Amino acid sequence: MTQFADRATRPSYVAISGAAGGLGKAFAVECASRGWDLFLTDLSAAPLEQLAVSLRNAYSVKVAVQACDLTDAAARANLFEQIRASGLHFWALINVAGLDYEGLFYQQTSRQIQTIIRLNIEGTLDMTHSLLEYRDPLQVFRIINVSSLAAFYPMPVKATYAASKRFLLDFSRALSQELRGLGVTVTVLCPAGMPTTSACIQSIQAQGWMGQITTCDVGRVANQTLNAALAGRGLVIPGLVNQLLQTLGGLVPAPLVAALIGRRWKSAHQKRALAQHLVESWPAVPGA
Amino acid sequence: METDLSEKTFVVTGATSGIGLAAAAALVRRGAAVIGVGRSPERCRLATRQLSALQPSARVDYLTADLSVQGEVRNLAVQIQTLLAVQGKTALDGLLNNAGTYVHWLTLTPDGVELQWAVNHLAPFLLSCLLLPLLQSAPTARIVTVSSASHYGSRINWSDPQLRRCYNGLRAYGNTKLANVLFTQALNRRLAPAAAVRAFAADPGLVKTDIALKGTPPLVNWIWKIRRSGGLSPAASAAGIVFLLTEPGIQNAPADYWKHGQPRQPSRAASDPAAGDRLWALSERMCGFQLEVNHDSVR
Repeated sequence: MTQFADRATRPSYVAISGAAGGLGKAFAVECASRGWDLFLTDLSAAPLEQLAVSLRNAYSVKVAVQACDLTDAAARANLFEQIRASGLHFWALINVAGLDYEGLFYQQTSRQIQTIIRLNIEGTLDMTHSLLEYRDPLQVFRIINVSSLAAFYPMPVKATYAASKRFLLDFSRALSQELRGLGVTVTVLCPAGMPTTSACIQSIQAQGWMGQITTCDVGRVANQTLNAALAGRGLVIPGLVNQLLQTLGGLVPAPLVAALIGRRWKSAHQKRALAQHLVESWPAVPGA
Repeated sequence: METDLSEKTFVVTGATSGIGLAAAAALVRRGAAVIGVGRSPERCRLATRQLSALQPSARVDYLTADLSVQGEVRNLAVQIQTLLAVQGKTALDGLLNNAGTYVHWLTLTPDGVELQWAVNHLAPFLLSCLLLPLLQSAPTARIVTVSSASHYGSRINWSDPQLRRCYNGLRAYGNTKLANVLFTQALNRRLAPAAAVRAFAADPGLVKTDIALKGTPPLVNWIWKIRRSGGLSPAASAAGIVFLLTEPGIQNAPADYWKHGQPRQPSRAASDPAAGDRLWALSERMCGFQLEVNHDSVR
């Protein structure tokens, strides 16, 4: 009970990275609707401010925002300095920021590949390391890392991304053991693709029925994941079909899984590329 | 009897296609000035040309706004006020909240609001409230919100009104259409009885539009194409809606919910004043806005 009393008198926040994107925004809204005060970060300030105004109005919570390019070590250092100076304390951290440039490895630029590693891995590790320092000592500290269903398999067409998510999966599981007994829990979320942007929706459509049945809405995922984190669960895979896929994937040798996924993704990738080509090459249809 | 509308001005949202365009065309044909609202500048230009061709003397203007974003709704209200001022007008005779959308997957707007809740409910709520002073400046004015028979069987889940935690596109759509009826009745209660501004909710019937074809899965597209094949033309449906916007005889009619120019009984959930007040309070909080009705305004 003392925990509630302390929370009332002492501001303690939930930090969310990538908070302006589809899943990050869903986490922010879900947390706000539960009455939790928020610290939001993302690449640019304007969308964060817009979301913050709306969440303050709708849910009467405190929302602090700070834009930061998490791929940049100096920008991260600056962010942590701001947090230190502001005196904020945290009882949860949700590492959502992550990206992928979909495409074949040899067609991506080296800068794109570096950005995937810097954001998905370096950014997440640095946020986790620093925010542990500013955790509220009076409460259990909840860490949620957003990995991906892609973490369980080698993924052609998403080679670097999937490997970066594998890193987060293994890291989270190991960290969870390290911090056991210290009042810190680590939950790793491994969702399938989610319909957050029109590009994501196109990608789901391009996968056909398989895309349909593996897709879960972001709101459901955010709610389910927060419940799991509060219960101290280590791994969340939203969707029964996805849990089944993960189980089956574990039974089949990795090279075979890679070959199967490669066939599916390459065909989806080609379909999308073709659709893109057709859209761009057609003259604009009036009224369409 | 069709009254002359040549001195009147109406705002129509979602006026670049479907029911909105047909309603705007019907108003323009009767000599009214129309301010259409659309998302795409290109489609707005096209609609302006179509309407101007119907009635070369008519005053037709289009404003672009993405109604899913609250900031754009506020900006739109300011633009409408400016446009009227430029035309030397101080009053607005009617607002048709027609813009609506359907999405299959949960989508959050930049304000963090579920897309259908934002476009189908919050945008009409906020725009109506913001334009109310202009509407109250007219001798009589109407606010017509396009609801749907989808509201039957819907019930707002107050612990998760936007269905974020268990999203289903059709249920979310039905909820917003229920919200349209609740909003209309709550607004009428807030305006005095026999007030100069009267709100109605309209059931447009099943209409041949493209509502369920935008970004929805193939199965949904296919089902909608079959369903709409037995539907009305947008013009036939718009006639009933234009009736609600313009017919002088119904200003103090008891019914708030109409279909094809006839009063209809909305669902029991839609007739619950407590739910309407709860929705009103929630909507005000979500928009960071509080309506203060000025009952002393011109009659």
